[in-house]
Amino acid sequence: MSATQIAGRMAGVDAGAPIRQSSLWQDAWRRYLRNRGAVAAGAVFLLLVVWCLVAPLVSPHDPNEVDFASAYQGPSWSHPFGTDQFGRDLFTRAALGGRISIGIGFGATLAILGIGVVYGAISGFVGGKLDNALMRFLDALYGLPYLPFAILALAIVGTVDFWTMVVALSIASWFITARVVRGQIIILKENDYVRAAKAVGVRWYAILGRHLLPNTLGVLVITIFLELPGVILGEAFLSFLGLGINPPDASWGSMAQDGRDSYRAHPHIIIIPSLAIATLVLCANFIADGLRDALDPRTKET
Amino acid sequence: MKPPLLTVTDLKVHFPIRSGVLFDRTVGHVKAVDGVSFELEEGRTLGLVGESGSGKSTTAYAVLQLLRPTSGSVRFAGRELTRLRGEALRRTRREIQIVFQDPYAALDPRMTVGRIVAEPLQAHGLGSRRSRRASVARLLELVGLDGSYANRYPHEFSGGQRQRIGIARALGLNPRLVVCDEPVSALDVSIQAQILNLLKDLQRDLGLTYVFIAHDLAVVRAMSDTIAVMHEGRIVEQGPAERVYTSPQTDYTRALLAAVPVADPERMRRRKRERRRLQPALDAR
Amino acid sequence: MALLEISDLKTHFFTREGVVHAVDGVSLAVEAGSTLGLVGESGCGKSVTALSIMRLLPTPPARIVSGSIRFGGRELTELSERELEDVRGREIGMVFQDPMTALNPTLTIGTQIVEVLQRHLRLDRRAARRRAGELLAEVGIPHAFERLDDYPHRFSGGMRQRVGIAMAIACEPRLLIADEPTTALDVTVQAQVLDLLDDLRRKREMAMLLITHNMGVVAESADDVAVMYAGQIVEQAPTPELFDRPEHPYTEALLSALPDLDDPLARRSRLAAIPGRPPDLVDPPAACRFASRCPYAELGDCCALEPPPLRELRPGHWVRSAHPASERHLAHA
Repeated sequence: MSATQIAGRMAGVDAGAPIRQSSLWQDAWRRYLRNRGAVAAGAVFLLLVVWCLVAPLVSPHDPNEVDFASAYQGPSWSHPFGTDQFGRDLFTRAALGGRISIGIGFGATLAILGIGVVYGAISGFVGGKLDNALMRFLDALYGLPYLPFAILALAIVGTVDFWTMVVALSIASWFITARVVRGQIIILKENDYVRAAKAVGVRWYAILGRHLLPNTLGVLVITIFLELPGVILGEAFLSFLGLGINPPDASWGSMAQDGRDSYRAHPHIIIIPSLAIATLVLCANFIADGLRDALDPRTKET
Repeated sequence: MKPPLLTVTDLKVHFPIRSGVLFDRTVGHVKAVDGVSFELEEGRTLGLVGESGSGKSTTAYAVLQLLRPTSGSVRFAGRELTRLRGEALRRTRREIQIVFQDPYAALDPRMTVGRIVAEPLQAHGLGSRRSRRASVARLLELVGLDGSYANRYPHEFSGGQRQRIGIARALGLNPRLVVCDEPVSALDVSIQAQILNLLKDLQRDLGLTYVFIAHDLAVVRAMSDTIAVMHEGRIVEQGPAERVYTSPQTDYTRALLAAVPVADPERMRRRKRERRRLQPALDAR
Repeated sequence: MALLEISDLKTHFFTREGVVHAVDGVSLAVEAGSTLGLVGESGCGKSVTALSIMRLLPTPPARIVSGSIRFGGRELTELSERELEDVRGREIGMVFQDPMTALNPTLTIGTQIVEVLQRHLRLDRRAARRRAGELLAEVGIPHAFERLDDYPHRFSGGMRQRVGIAMAIACEPRLLIADEPTTALDVTVQAQVLDLLDDLRRKREMAMLLITHNMGVVAESADDVAVMYAGQIVEQAPTPELFDRPEHPYTEALLSALPDLDDPLARRSRLAAIPGRPPDLVDPPAACRFASRCPYAELGDCCALEPPPLRELRPGHWVRSAHPASERHLAHA
């Protein structure tokens, strides 16, 4: 039997085994782990969150208990971070403050993401005149500086609690996210697999939800860690201006504001929360960089 | 004599060129497809041939209503596709499917092979999850892949294998017409032959009708019963494959045929002389 | 002595997933003034071979592990980076596959060609510009001198490739390496570019190493053909000889798998596909690399135990196989 006859008969029967076995997420995870800075930052971030959650539960001190006798104490064994002007243990307060700061941070970030994704996805997916109109409107909004806007929002509402802070910080910060998501959707829309889904008769919402949005996941995760620092700093800034969470609840920002008057004599009161904010922001940036490198499609194996 | 399965008449796809800062004005049109007509009988293959920019892929998308034609008619199995909307169009999509050129872009990287192949069935609410799983296994085997591959992701497969997955997806709804948009252009020669054989076998076994788009004339000849040669949005020559290849009627077709590299040094020398003679027909580029 | 002589070249990629033996013992020779076609499917190592000659591979992770590349008597693997820069462009020119990315989009064509001329020939600006215009005209670009001031995006794909060719031959190199020069082009433009390369080669008495996956292209343009598979040369012969009397089972299979443009029975018949896939180059088979797909290899054959050497079956015709076509009738004893 000739070569061509044999070869011809066997064609199409066996296409062979898969050529590689791994998942995209595993590849990304492995790449992330190679970035030592990102891994360290991730660990510190996690530690910080755990501390905020656990420390107040195990602390012997009541964070709101006023005890003027112990006021302005420096770091010691019973008060690892010292005490503030009211004698309140800063270690416990900082942990509680962390809960609020981080909570507001994530809350506002998720709100930003939520609004941005919806706006951007609709604009990018529908395209045409609607996209045009939505983007022109966005261009106009771009001019709004978010901090003054946040201040305005808080002033209008009156009280400052967790949720009003979240709203104030996210109201004018979702523009970039919307743009980014829209850009992603527009690029992804051109992929053949989206056309294939349309050709098969998949409905538009299924295309959006099953094909487009999951493929923007990578970008969204990175966006979370990019927006987080901005929001946390924003909250800190507002608190520092005196627009922070109402006492006795405290965030790191409002704690820093507490320490403003006495920072020359007792710097630890302002330093502790400031350091906490700085650490969180630094870690978030490193994590965002690490994620970006890990998920970079150019280094993905195809 | 049965009427042709697909009749396209004077199909036009014009893209407006918009300009302007605040308000878009239409300043002109890109005539991607400019009056294309052809017929295709059931069970046969139409080879749509042309160079890049000739409009062959745009024609295919317009037939499938993935792009709305600017004007013209597309009659499929007695129905006028250009007038269908919404649910009626969706239902008709079950009968016309497409296989794409780039095996690396045609499959959603986040979905398993099983979900990809099952998606057409799911979109039309066919069967239960269990019966769909069985269908997926059957379809994968039909294209030469093992049923167990359903749990894997596209990036674990080679180009040829991915193309098979794309074909399996296209067959899920039992279509009558399959548009193959350059299905082997991105594949190596040895794999190309496997996929072409697969397509031939499937056509014979399932009674499929193909619109086969390619720029490789040798490949098109191996697959087609009738040929339409496209150039700048129009069909410049059309007819039974045999006739077009052995006695082309237009200079463009002749130039195209003369330009194809052929694995025979003796014939290449003759074809080179032929090419020099036909140079004027192509000098617009 | 041949103009370019590669002996037992091994270029490996050291990656996290393992060592990829991309080029694993390649020997070939290009005579002055002739064209050698290097043909093979994707992943066979032909591009890596070309880039190894010019040392254009990123050196982690790639590395020329062993072997020699002699050009005009000089050993290229031993040259320093500076000495190699003098060779690149001046004595060896290279044309790349993708005309879109091979040209800098932010510089005019004139600037890019003048840059090459000034670097190697030390011409003053006016002379260089004149030469650049002449080159563009030589490669068939109409209104050549006016076009010098155009940016790459104003040229079509075929024109851009011609510009790439102009840049590659600007300094009159003795060898032109063309890595898939026509793959990204339409078939009619492809033919024109191949004809151009042929004319230029003959006029300037250049040698050419033409790399492609298309057998038809080498049939048309090459004097000799070398077939590559899984990092090795498996067959080499003068072009008419290779197509008339292919010896290696892979070459035969490749030729049979090609759809024939002039075959009236093509529609009704099946193509002779090659089953399976090329081997993984991270862990290549110890013996013959084609054995798993070869219709003639049997269990216990010598080719399953030991890698077959590249031997000269007939004068000028080299084969790396234990079952070349002309010996098959002898095997069944």
